[in-house]
Amino acid sequence: MNDDFMEVTYDKFTFRVRRDYWYHPEECWAKEKDGIITVGVTDFLQKTVGDVAFLELPGAGTELSREGEAGTMETIKATVALISPVSGKIQEVNPLLEENPQLINTDPYGEGWVFRVNPNDWGADRKVLWDAQTYFPKMEAKIKAEMAKK
Amino acid sequence: MKKKMVILPCSVIGKAYGEMGRQAIYELIEDLGEEQATTTCLARLMIDDPETKGLVHENLVITVDGCARDCARKNVEFTGKTVSSALRVIDVFKDNRDLKPEGILELGEPGFKLVHHLARKLREEVDRLNRGEA
Amino acid sequence: MLDQFKPLKVGIIPCNGEEICEGTLTRFACRKVLDSLRPGDTVTICLPLFIAGDKGEQNFAKTFPTITVDGGEKRCSQKSTERLSGRPRYAVVISELLKEKGVEPPSSRRKLTAQDQTAIDLVAEDIVKKVDEILEKG
Repeated sequence: MNDDFMEVTYDKFTFRVRRDYWYHPEECWAKEKDGIITVGVTDFLQKTVGDVAFLELPGAGTELSREGEAGTMETIKATVALISPVSGKIQEVNPLLEENPQLINTDPYGEGWVFRVNPNDWGADRKVLWDAQTYFPKMEAKIKAEMAKK
Repeated sequence: MKKKMVILPCSVIGKAYGEMGRQAIYELIEDLGEEQATTTCLARLMIDDPETKGLVHENLVITVDGCARDCARKNVEFTGKTVSSALRVIDVFKDNRDLKPEGILELGEPGFKLVHHLARKLREEVDRLNRGEA
Repeated sequence: MLDQFKPLKVGIIPCNGEEICEGTLTRFACRKVLDSLRPGDTVTICLPLFIAGDKGEQNFAKTFPTITVDGGEKRCSQKSTERLSGRPRYAVVISELLKEKGVEPPSSRRKLTAQDQTAIDLVAEDIVKKVDEILEKG
């Protein structure tokens, strides 16, 4: 039992959800600290799409709107559009991802964070996001749906 | 006496990278000849097969991993052998973005183009190591 | 009542060996089982990742029944599985299976031909029979 994460295992894959983050249906997460929102992609998404080879992200200073486009993530299997769960100005893009985009796969909730945003209205944005307890069963439903496709 | 190059792929079965790594190594061995380069089974090394251990420990080793998990490199190093060069197939894909394999085992034409790029990169590594550049 | 103890999935662990052509055959036969013959009933375990200590692969092999598929008599997959997770339910050795059935092994480790399809099908069917037995008996 892990205090920081909720986990579920299907076959040989363990899917993790960070307890203290907020989640968007498009499989990204947001975490507030000292007024800045860190954004990343979920464990479910990175497991589904595979090893990240390319990232195209907006630069620092870009204005984002909630659920607006925020770049793309490309693997050998798929190209995924990223959205921002919050509105605001990008303060920083994770510099480690330039050389090592696979950090998104190895540590999606930690070192694999994607960008940091100075939010316009975090209170309003957060209201439409899911907490971990709400997101977790929705993630499980998606996992079961993926497995049923086989 | 010049050492042989032993090239070990991770052979991951769940991703196209595994098949690409194998095919690139076979292409290189065909190109260079078995006296200069060879491959063997990673699993055979890990079950302590004496012949395989001897081959790996007495020669230079290049690992070819599919991704950043580096299973081939880690497994070889676990046996106490230092890998002379460690390549990742995903890095070749990064340099050739328009080429995507068509399947996990049936790579198709774009997949085999990536294989050729990887084989060429392997050849460069072999030449570099033969020149004595660590 | 017994149904709740029926294993839901069977782990297939091919050796994927590079040195002999039967190693290549393990890949093709196992993927055939996984992708078309018994999708949903089988999971493939990646042997290098398994040996490198991945907990997901090792825990699955400890929890669910496994079938190892080795190219030759060295039985690398079987031995690795026994060491890291426990005895597989079945251990297939392709060189022995082909000999028993009078089927020629592939001539190339690099590329399997249309003629080699017979060998792929034979191995895949043997694996499927074992998967079905496991799922039936539990």
